[in-house]
Amino acid sequence: MNYLLFLPEFLLVILAFVVMSLDLFLKPQSKAISAYVSAAGLLVVMASVLTLRGQETQLYGGLFLVDGYALFFKFFFLALGIFIVLTSADYVKKYLTHPGEYYGIILFSVLGMMVMTAAGELLTAYIGLELLSFSLYVLSSYATDNAKSNEAGTKYILLGALSTALLLYGLSLIYGLVGTTSFEGVASALGAEGGNRLAIIVSLVLVIAGFGIKIAAVPFHMWAPDVYEGSPLPITAYISVASKAAGFALALRIFAAAFLPVVGEWRGILIALSALTMTVGNLVALAQKNIKRLLAYSSIGQSGYLLMGLAAVTADSSNIAANGILLHLAGYGASNLAAFVSIIAYFNLTGKEDISDFAGLAERAPLVALTLSVALFSLAGLPFFAGFTTKFYLFTAAAREGLLWLVTLAVVNSLISLYYYLMVIKQMYINPPAEPSRLRMPYLLNSLLVVLIVIVFIIGIYPAPLVRAIEGATRALFLS
Amino acid sequence: MIPLEYFLILSAALFCIGLYGVLARRNAVLILMSIELMLNAVNINLVAFSSRLAPSEFLGQIFAIFVITVAAAEVGLALAIVIRLYRNRTSVNVDEIDIMKW
Repeated sequence: MNYLLFLPEFLLVILAFVVMSLDLFLKPQSKAISAYVSAAGLLVVMASVLTLRGQETQLYGGLFLVDGYALFFKFFFLALGIFIVLTSADYVKKYLTHPGEYYGIILFSVLGMMVMTAAGELLTAYIGLELLSFSLYVLSSYATDNAKSNEAGTKYILLGALSTALLLYGLSLIYGLVGTTSFEGVASALGAEGGNRLAIIVSLVLVIAGFGIKIAAVPFHMWAPDVYEGSPLPITAYISVASKAAGFALALRIFAAAFLPVVGEWRGILIALSALTMTVGNLVALAQKNIKRLLAYSSIGQSGYLLMGLAAVTADSSNIAANGILLHLAGYGASNLAAFVSIIAYFNLTGKEDISDFAGLAERAPLVALTLSVALFSLAGLPFFAGFTTKFYLFTAAAREGLLWLVTLAVVNSLISLYYYLMVIKQMYINPPAEPSRLRMPYLLNSLLVVLIVIVFIIGIYPAPLVRAIEGATRALFLS
Repeated sequence: MIPLEYFLILSAALFCIGLYGVLARRNAVLILMSIELMLNAVNINLVAFSSRLAPSEFLGQIFAIFVITVAAAEVGLALAIVIRLYRNRTSVNVDEIDIMKW
């Protein structure tokens, strides 16, 4: 067996332990370097992922897959980890304690996501999912003396544990139906079996409910706004992108590789969830006063669009729906990160996070206001921004699979979302600031903002290289 | 030999009791205990299926061992978070943790 195929995972585990133990030897004033050590280490791990490019193999008889799909997401999650670690640096110094553990746990959660996307059977996927979830539970309640953070952590772990129980019960029924846990085995057994539709539907409903909580689909979304509001800001950014992307990466793999033969049973459920999720998310977002809650509901709306893509995955179509999901995840990830990094930059200097506090931000910190506007326009899906290209691709894919009414609903919802995004932009550019003093942003955050703006525009204007990479990734998905 | 149905009925009953507990209980610790019941229902399912479908493969048993281990870790973590909550709020009633809503 070729252990080099595990190189990124091994390196990441080593890095996590190094960061956590390095903290023991650092003086309190120099503990902040943990962030830069983690970022540098993550870059090395990213390079090791690149060396595996083109691999199409499996380890341990299909437990662990090394294919284009897994490698694409590993790269994505590692890049995400670098951004989160770097944006955390100032925030952690100012508001949190124990930086070594904080960064170590972030690294472990990245490992969990990497295992999730590489899993070739249910148990491995479950272990990866739990590693990610546990890390996020700890991180969301990391501000131990902050009542809001405690509340967020409690709500998150109670609902997260419930979702795991539902998911596991569904998986145990599926194991009982087909007698195996490998995705390939499940697919061939489900394809052959004619009887017991009821048992299949019950287990699929439980699995979808479990995933629904993880990706915050309505009616399982109740935790999301509270956890987003209560968690430390960089963790909110992390949860909003990581938990969603990893959840969809795993869901897409399971539904495309294992449950595709019974597509008729789950398609209707996903369509209903998708319509509910995008509508409720965008409508409730209209009433929000806190920017974190606003983005929470907007990300619930985005989940609805992605679920629509998942519902458009069918046996005989090309990979276009799967491509749409991956592309939209990348675009959503970049835009949401840009939004959160600018909010973090503002919060670090002022400690304020209500939408009305952003009044006159364009005068006080032009780059932050510009990034936030670019991010919000991109989330709304205006042309030239990433959101337009990715939504266009995703909506076209869904329309080609005959989900025209759902696509119409999604377009209407995008218009609704434009309204509440514009309210934030109006605060920043038109309303006068409460105090006119200019805010001085640190260089690191400024450069991150510029990088994110550039990424958003590249995805929006010249997406061809990304689309090519994604096409390579999803090819692996349907072969297995 | 006890028929498979009996195990499935037992596990379904346990699962429903657990789910009812999660929805009806107001104490965070009791909610956690209810979730444990649900996870035990999963374990009964896995072991029962495994012993009937492929007694020589142990796949379900291995799955169950992982579930037990992870569930133990989960409870440890959840209790730690609940203790933090109790220190700050002197209550673990989930109806009272409502600083944030809507």
